[in-house]
Amino acid sequence: MSTVDHSDPPVSDTRVGPAGGGNRRDPVRTAVRAIGELLITAGLVVLLFVVYEVYVTDITSAAKQRDATAALDQEWQQSTPEEQQQRQEHYDGPEGSGIAKMYVPAFGADYSFTILRGTTEKTLEVGPGHYTESGDPGLPGNFAVAGHRVGKGAPFNDIDLLNSCDAIVVETRFSWFVYRVLPKADEVADWASRAADPRCTGVGPLGAPYDRVVGQEIVSPTQGSVILPVPNRDDVTDNAGATASLMTLTTCHPRFSDRERLVVHAVMVKQWAKNPDKPGETPPELKETS
Amino acid sequence: MYGWIWRHLPGPVAVRAITAVLLVAGVVALLMFVVFPWAEPKLPFNQVTTQ
Repeated sequence: MSTVDHSDPPVSDTRVGPAGGGNRRDPVRTAVRAIGELLITAGLVVLLFVVYEVYVTDITSAAKQRDATAALDQEWQQSTPEEQQQRQEHYDGPEGSGIAKMYVPAFGADYSFTILRGTTEKTLEVGPGHYTESGDPGLPGNFAVAGHRVGKGAPFNDIDLLNSCDAIVVETRFSWFVYRVLPKADEVADWASRAADPRCTGVGPLGAPYDRVVGQEIVSPTQGSVILPVPNRDDVTDNAGATASLMTLTTCHPRFSDRERLVVHAVMVKQWAKNPDKPGETPPELKETS
Repeated sequence: MYGWIWRHLPGPVAVRAITAVLLVAGVVALLMFVVFPWAEPKLPFNQVTTQ
């Protein structure tokens, strides 16, 4: 606001005359200053929007994610004896309710998100969302999850850094499912050299009909086929008809843009039933934090 | 514009400064809690699902 100095006498104003009232009433000057101030304001608003998008939404989403996780924990603890007996999973809660938790040990021991049902804007503010038409965790088919890459907790901020064989662990009420990222397109040909890695057990090119499924791909936003039971194959429409249990993550790409989608495919290599007598037990894959 | 507002704020300089800060805070809050949440889904930054 330092430009606002009207008390000085007009020093260089040579136009003082019958029509002139000095600088103060010069309409051109006033208009130019107003436009300049508006432009500066607009710039500040844009900067503020960046702050909002990258930081403020994180704060509000973190609180929502905490609530969703608490609600899911409570739901799991309140399983009826029959449910405990049958150990039957169900993911048919309302849109936005928690269905599972996901862990990516490669992102650190504290990387944990509650996956919610549905992929509406409102749900994705809370955490990663399950495409309801895609498969369920641990079952044959494709368990597809969308998540934000920037702001809103940014659960999928770093999924471009996932390497093949990195674990994505999914916890449901009664089970742990360990998915591992599939070989990337440039690794498929030479996969034999990686097969000795103990982390890669069960991971490898899946063969037909999965020959178009790789660990990471970047696709156009309209390519919904990446979440099909057999990704990129529209002739298999039923998840139960798939032979492999896949997990697919989708997020925006490049960062700060929604021009494309970054897609990560993983295959389930192990599953554990939770032992009711050892409620705190976790699978060893969760310790692969290096 | 800002000059006009400043000149129309009542009171001595200290009071004006406080009022101005409050006005700025109000505008920022309006943007953060009303305008940005409304505008954000309409902008091409953060669509993460495929169709």
